[in-house]
Amino acid sequence: MPRRPRRHTQQLKARPLTFSRFSRSIAQMASTSKSNKKSYPSFAVSKSSTHHPGNGFAGRTLEEKTKQSESSDEEFEEGVVQADFSFFDPKPGDFHGVKNLLQTYMGDKQWDLSGFVDLILEQTTVGTVVKVEDDEDEGLFAVVTALNLSRYREQKCIVELKDFLLKVCKEKGTSYQLKLILGEQAHGVGLLVSQRVVNLPLQLLPHLYDALFDEVSWATEDEPTEELRNSFKFTHYIIYSKIYKHKNAEQNRKLNNDDDAIIYIKPEDELFHKLSSWFFCFPLQTSQPETRELKNCRSMGLVMAVEADKIPTFRQELRSLISEP
Amino acid sequence: MATRLMFENSCEVGVFSKLTNAYCLVAIGGSESFYSVFESELAGVIPVVKTSIGGTRIIGRLCAGNRNGLLLPHTTTDQELQHLRNGLPDQVVVQRVEERLSALGNCIACNDHVALAHTDLDKETEELIADVLGVEVFRQTIAGNILVGSYCALSNRGGLVHPHTSIEDMDELSTLLQVPLVAGTVNRGSEVIAAGMTVNDWTAFCGSDTTATELSVVESVFKLRESQPSSIADEKRKSLIDAYV
Repeated sequence: MPRRPRRHTQQLKARPLTFSRFSRSIAQMASTSKSNKKSYPSFAVSKSSTHHPGNGFAGRTLEEKTKQSESSDEEFEEGVVQADFSFFDPKPGDFHGVKNLLQTYMGDKQWDLSGFVDLILEQTTVGTVVKVEDDEDEGLFAVVTALNLSRYREQKCIVELKDFLLKVCKEKGTSYQLKLILGEQAHGVGLLVSQRVVNLPLQLLPHLYDALFDEVSWATEDEPTEELRNSFKFTHYIIYSKIYKHKNAEQNRKLNNDDDAIIYIKPEDELFHKLSSWFFCFPLQTSQPETRELKNCRSMGLVMAVEADKIPTFRQELRSLISEP
Repeated sequence: MATRLMFENSCEVGVFSKLTNAYCLVAIGGSESFYSVFESELAGVIPVVKTSIGGTRIIGRLCAGNRNGLLLPHTTTDQELQHLRNGLPDQVVVQRVEERLSALGNCIACNDHVALAHTDLDKETEELIADVLGVEVFRQTIAGNILVGSYCALSNRGGLVHPHTSIEDMDELSTLLQVPLVAGTVNRGSEVIAAGMTVNDWTAFCGSDTTATELSVVESVFKLRESQPSSIADEKRKSLIDAYV
């Protein structure tokens, strides 16, 4: 079965855009549906893949470098930036960019971040970094990957991460689930790591996650050894991300409606949260400066487990969420 | 001996500390393991002083100093100034500088005999550097960068410069500085040398991302392999040019 070429192109008309700090923070922080959607600048998304499947798969396409640049109406209003984003496989040269993005992954705690970044960069079959085409600075805008917890269980960074999660989980019920997922069931669990710059256009998200989950399914067929193929047959994904909770909501225990009180930094976290089999929150110490909008909110970490079966639903919901006019 | 360490998950050790032959400054707010590394190397030989400058922790990039003196930017508060005067040895002259370019650590690279300065530094500041630090001042660029303090780490025994420095530039700088120079990187390819490491005549501290190769280059150019702290460490200036490429 030949692999379908991975080409994502998107054409949008450039329309007037306000990039005020207020509208940016609204777009990012509030739960997505109701906000006043502004139109986005036009850009093209393309995936450059340099996949090298194993020896036994000579029949498949080995390399695809498809690229389509879109030059649309050059309406340069103030604050409008034209950008061509491209998706690449992780490579060792991306070390500093990825490390920068993941600097706050565990808050201020000192851990083997360099080792973690190395793991991500070594796994070229599953994982994507987003850069601007032909950028000399090689600035990295986003990284997304899924790491099998059992495959890397010996690595110092994964051990530290597991210990950290087990330590902060205060709820008895989920603590037991967490232990299972990190221990016995770890061979089917993928740690989903997704970090990006705050103002990355949201239209990239469906493509980014499509790329990730497609790569996972391709890896289950393409990897050279049986062991590696099985390591990508994820039954669960575990996601650790940051959210903000309104301080007042904690006092109002009667209000069981958690959703209004939570501000998701990344919109896809809300979808994952809804689809998760279980989750827990814990307070997070950060040295991030407080902005005016976030003054009444506490920064918290959110850990959730999503079954792999729910992923197609997630992809669909993400697409419909982002493409809402 | 060169040591690798981290400050709160950041490998930019040269930003949060300043090491000279007479004293060592470290930023407040770091973990105890950060101080203990410095103290284990330096305790009893030179004082290790915890401080902030202008309320910030980026002290390594804001101040410039050697065994003779310490220059502080105008943003330094009076309490910090007093704290430093109390903590440092008496022969070290602590001076606050009224200079528009307030990140003195980025603008000035110096050892105990000679200093490189940013080309746009005020004339008064240049005189102050010569006076307080007891050095000869040269306005230079390194690989076309005017922030000489960022792209060069200097001690009395050697210097490490930006990796793209040309050989002619290195020869010229080596003649001025009278020490051997090597172009290299720290922290796994970072070009901002002075942010990633801090060095004196007998020891160096590098970020933990520094590879073994980079570390061995640091140890060889700064001649750290068999050095011991010495209270009479007063190197005579070599009259011969010694440039390693």
